[in-house]
Amino acid sequence: MIAIEGLTKIYGRRTALDHASFEVPKGEIFGFVGPNGAGKTTTLRILAGLLEPTAGRAFVDGADVIQRPDLVHERLGYMPDFFGVYDQLSAVEYLDFYAACYRQPKARRKKIADDLLELVGLSDRRNQLVDTLSRGLKQRLCLARALVHDPAVLLLDEPASGLDPRARVEMREILKELQTMGKTIVISSHILPELTELCTMVGIIDQGRIRATGPVHDVIRQLTIGRRLRITVLGQKEEAIAVLRPLSAIHEATMVNGAIEAAFEGDEATAASILQTLIAAGIKVSGFNQLEGGLEDAFLKATAENVG
Amino acid sequence: MRRIALALWNPIVAKEYRSRMRTWRSPLAMTVYIVLLGGLGWAIFSGMSLSARSAFNTGQAASFGQGLFIYLILFQMVLLAFITPALTAGAISSERERQTIDLLFVTRLPSFSILWGKLLASMSFVLLLLLLSVPIFSLVFLFGGIELDQLAAAFVVTAVAALTLGVIGLACSTAFTRTLPATVAAYGAAFVLLAGSLLFGLLFPTDIDPNATRAPAPPAVSYLSPLLPLVTIGTNSPVTWYGVRNSPVGFSSACAGPYGSSCAVPLGPNGVAIGKGFVRTPPQPTGTAIPSGLFSGWQYWQATVTMQLLLSLAALIVSAALLPPIRHLPWRRPTVRESA
Repeated sequence: MIAIEGLTKIYGRRTALDHASFEVPKGEIFGFVGPNGAGKTTTLRILAGLLEPTAGRAFVDGADVIQRPDLVHERLGYMPDFFGVYDQLSAVEYLDFYAACYRQPKARRKKIADDLLELVGLSDRRNQLVDTLSRGLKQRLCLARALVHDPAVLLLDEPASGLDPRARVEMREILKELQTMGKTIVISSHILPELTELCTMVGIIDQGRIRATGPVHDVIRQLTIGRRLRITVLGQKEEAIAVLRPLSAIHEATMVNGAIEAAFEGDEATAASILQTLIAAGIKVSGFNQLEGGLEDAFLKATAENVG
Repeated sequence: MRRIALALWNPIVAKEYRSRMRTWRSPLAMTVYIVLLGGLGWAIFSGMSLSARSAFNTGQAASFGQGLFIYLILFQMVLLAFITPALTAGAISSERERQTIDLLFVTRLPSFSILWGKLLASMSFVLLLLLLSVPIFSLVFLFGGIELDQLAAAFVVTAVAALTLGVIGLACSTAFTRTLPATVAAYGAAFVLLAGSLLFGLLFPTDIDPNATRAPAPPAVSYLSPLLPLVTIGTNSPVTWYGVRNSPVGFSSACAGPYGSSCAVPLGPNGVAIGKGFVRTPPQPTGTAIPSGLFSGWQYWQATVTMQLLLSLAALIVSAALLPPIRHLPWRRPTVRESA
């Protein structure tokens, strides 16, 4: 549904995007993760036909963003990382205006506006002037604006930035609903735990380069080496570490917040044999569980390799 | 046909009308406009009434009518030169500042429609101001001296000049990222159009050729200014007071009458009369048409309107080329791309 191939964007001497490539199949929610200035917004702006790449190609539903911007605009809903609201327009007039800009027939525009206001929970604010809405409500209205022409693809640049926790949860619920409607969604965000829960695919970008891309769990597995154990013992912490370190399956064992964290290579049987070894050595184990590697770990791992 | 209608009447126009007419600025601008124009009309009317108490006849009434008309139409032009750039200079740059321009670019609205919508909305407001001024101009008909066709021609010149200023403002708004420099540039352009082009005629007037068969006319650049045709329409007389001068080897102006003379004496470079013979002076313009030059035979207002429409078209083309985020300029080699 979305494909970028060797996309490069150079501003003067700065390379904002360096031969970036990825594909997002239909119906996926793609989390686009990266630190500030990594090239996320540049990629999304190229996909929206707002920026010309220095090299490479980008496609939305098979349409080249440079050659066929008309087709791309028809199939794409874009929500930038700013609100972009007008003075003196009510929420319903705002949506009606953009629906008209997307050439929606006049007879249908009222229904479109009403349906979208209901989807984003703004039905009771339909006649309120958009510049008087709160930040969270403006964000929801802007999402509704990106949907006025019922696009197959949604590009959302930092949709949750600056929102309070409740507004973030509400935004996440709306995105889940859009997912059930079969939209292909690309979300760039710094809110990594939310992406883990929401996204089916992830791309990690840093300094203009795609560091990893694919289904969320594949990327996490790809970037986090081995598995981790958290072991709590009654006293005897030093002794426990002394027992663990010589084991061949253990890469490292350290004290973290009063517990022992150990990285190991192996499966469930390996974890069980580690526990047996500890008990056999007379260590009183009060807790023994495996830690799931998260997107945050993967992200830190992917971006840390390039620091220094 | 539907495409043309969509391009001409687009959502931007309706949105601009809503935004513009819902603020206090528009009624205030209309009120100030009418008060200023009406105030000037009333002041001149009062002055004329006072002088008419002593002596007044039909001829004087006509000349009063002409005077009132010229003052009003010139003042209206100056007022519009202040108002129009303010209406369009922020049209695109304010969208950039408000970060709404990208949201328009990603819609199915072509870039030209955005420009056209902004222009149409601004020019409708100018048209509204012009319509509001019609009752004030009707005062002129109390005195006479001005015919309806003169009033219509003057309004056409004023409207086209306002359109030109509007399109130039739009071009400035497209070229500059911020509204402030765009506004300064638009006012600079308005000054050049109104006064600069007239100044050109003063600094570089047409030299009188003693052997010419036609009367001299001011340089064509000076027709860009709407002020010259407005005065010509008001006075309904030829331009003899502007844009022409005696050549370095000229004629004694002392004996050069308005319709040419046979008593002129050629002057040397030091201004001393040379020779004794009678020399023919060039003919003087007699009608309101341009006597010679590029627009020979045209009325001044026709030349002005033509030049300004061409200038507007050029400014609109420049704006349309500058506006899109990705410019498909004809001289750029298209990249060969394959479908994914």
